[in-house]
Amino acid sequence: MKISKQARRDAKELFRSCLVNGALDANRVRQVVQLVTTQKPRGYIAILSHFERLVKLEEARRTAKVESAAPLAPDLQASVRNDLARVYGPGLNVSFSQNPSLIGGMRIRVGSDVYDGSIQARLTALQESF
Amino acid sequence: MSTILQEIEAQISGVKTTVAKQNVGTVREIGDGVAKIEGLTDVMLNEMIDFGNGVTGLALNLEETEVGAIILGDYTGVKEGQEVKTTGKLLQVPVGKGLLGRVVNALGQPVDGKGPVKSDVTYPVEKIAPGIIKRKSVSQPVQTGIMPIDAMIPIGRGQRELIIGDRSTGKTTIGVDAMINQARINRAADAAGDKDYRRLYSIYVAVGQKQSNIARVVSVLEEAGAMPYTIVVTASASDSATNQYLAPFAGAAMGEWFMDNGMDALIIYDDLSKHATAYRQVSLVLKRPSGREAYPGDVFYLHSRLLERSARTNEKYGNGSLTALPIIETQLGDVSAYIPTNVISITDGQIYLETDLFYQGVRPAISVGLSVSRVGSAAQIKAMKQVAGRVKLELAQFRELAAFAQFGSDLDAKTQAQIERGKRIVEIFKQPQYNPIPVEVQVAVLWAAQNSHFDDVPVDKIKDAQTKLTDYLTNRKADLMGKIAKEKALNDGLIAELKAAVTEFKQTYK
Repeated sequence: MKISKQARRDAKELFRSCLVNGALDANRVRQVVQLVTTQKPRGYIAILSHFERLVKLEEARRTAKVESAAPLAPDLQASVRNDLARVYGPGLNVSFSQNPSLIGGMRIRVGSDVYDGSIQARLTALQESF
Repeated sequence: MSTILQEIEAQISGVKTTVAKQNVGTVREIGDGVAKIEGLTDVMLNEMIDFGNGVTGLALNLEETEVGAIILGDYTGVKEGQEVKTTGKLLQVPVGKGLLGRVVNALGQPVDGKGPVKSDVTYPVEKIAPGIIKRKSVSQPVQTGIMPIDAMIPIGRGQRELIIGDRSTGKTTIGVDAMINQARINRAADAAGDKDYRRLYSIYVAVGQKQSNIARVVSVLEEAGAMPYTIVVTASASDSATNQYLAPFAGAAMGEWFMDNGMDALIIYDDLSKHATAYRQVSLVLKRPSGREAYPGDVFYLHSRLLERSARTNEKYGNGSLTALPIIETQLGDVSAYIPTNVISITDGQIYLETDLFYQGVRPAISVGLSVSRVGSAAQIKAMKQVAGRVKLELAQFRELAAFAQFGSDLDAKTQAQIERGKRIVEIFKQPQYNPIPVEVQVAVLWAAQNSHFDDVPVDKIKDAQTKLTDYLTNRKADLMGKIAKEKALNDGLIAELKAAVTEFKQTYK
């Protein structure tokens, strides 16, 4: 779908109004979506889809996905949380999951930053070096 | 003391991590060799992006939520949702003398089946042109071996001279002739063990050309023995628009290596109209706003930053040079179209080729009135200046008078003489392709024409007389030719010798 410049601008404006102290406020997002769907301004579908994209990217930026081959012990989880909070500031949602294909080690993704310490990544790097 | 060191080392090894931070993104959209990527927050403009499996891309559009990247190489393996990562490197090509004699693509990979390119130096494809401090004015000649050019529209080392004309008017031929002549002079200097002569290496960049044409040029260069001094960079019509857009920049990077290392190079961009078209395609699929004729707004900057990289650097910065001969194809002789006017205004002069002249048999079909060289005359050797100083004016007067001559024979003797002289000069300037003439022979023939030695030869016999005179001078008077080439000026002694030689030739010529 083609999203017009005006729609992009409006979506950006709405997105800004949802920020409280630099962090996205879930209630305000709900309010905005509610308001737009009821009032139906010109090009509201385009505005909402761009708004959704902005929210999605902001969510990704504030979410840390920690993947590990084996489940992490609670104290290790806490230390990962602390380290991430030190780098990216407070208010980061950290989610832990298991991925046996990593073979060993951990892979953390925050937004578009990736810290890959898994065995699989090292094997891939080794493969590419030939 | 050593315990402190150990402590520091232990601290450092404790902090050191093997896990490096990477910046990744996800392919959101792919098509026409262009990918839209979400993420990649740390990407730089013109940075290489790793798509995995040996496929790389180039980040060209950095937008609010996504990155537009062109893909180099095969894009059919790239899928939506695929993870890509930044490399922190700008696009680079191999440069150096190892490339001489090779045919490579826009990324510097060999396409001639002669094995890998021997080069351990790489240069970024996009580079800012040398500034004012590094430059020096053009003062050394590039001998193209084409008489009308060397006499009337001289090209200097570090100059940008445009070759412009309709399709099949001999634009490429001028470039190829210039490369063959450089190889001839380089070979002669190599054979004589001349250390002082600054060898001129050639780079031929073929953009959007038919593969058959490229193969023909390469075989001509091989036959003439010019390949050992030449690099051919190809992005043929079947290559992606991305590669066609990058090829001239890759060629310029290879030329810059010669310039930076105190050597001289000549680069021929064949042709920049197709380059502009390829760039237009890339820009349109990247959804950049389009301007006149759907070209993007920065098509002028595209060519100006490319041609500005040709320069002559001063002694402090290596004393090298990069001469550019861009080629532009016009439609029906329209030099006022968008891309031709752009490139005309960027370059230091142009050689305009006319279809009419071509079919009249005047080959190379150089239009004297519209062709100009803005800096090259400073680079002409003195001998050439002495004999060719008035030729351009005489030819211009001839063209004006030739129109009158068609109406009848009621012309005064002076006008008649001017017309006859003009006709002879036009004949002398005709030259078969791939047959460059050494500058000393050019000087001798032009001297003979200027001093009325051809006036009694009928116009249709001029070419024959010129060929025989050339043979006579190169075979029988080789020492005189050698002296002219060495002295680079005609002094009284040389003029007397030349006069004696031409008079002697005239006695035997029937």
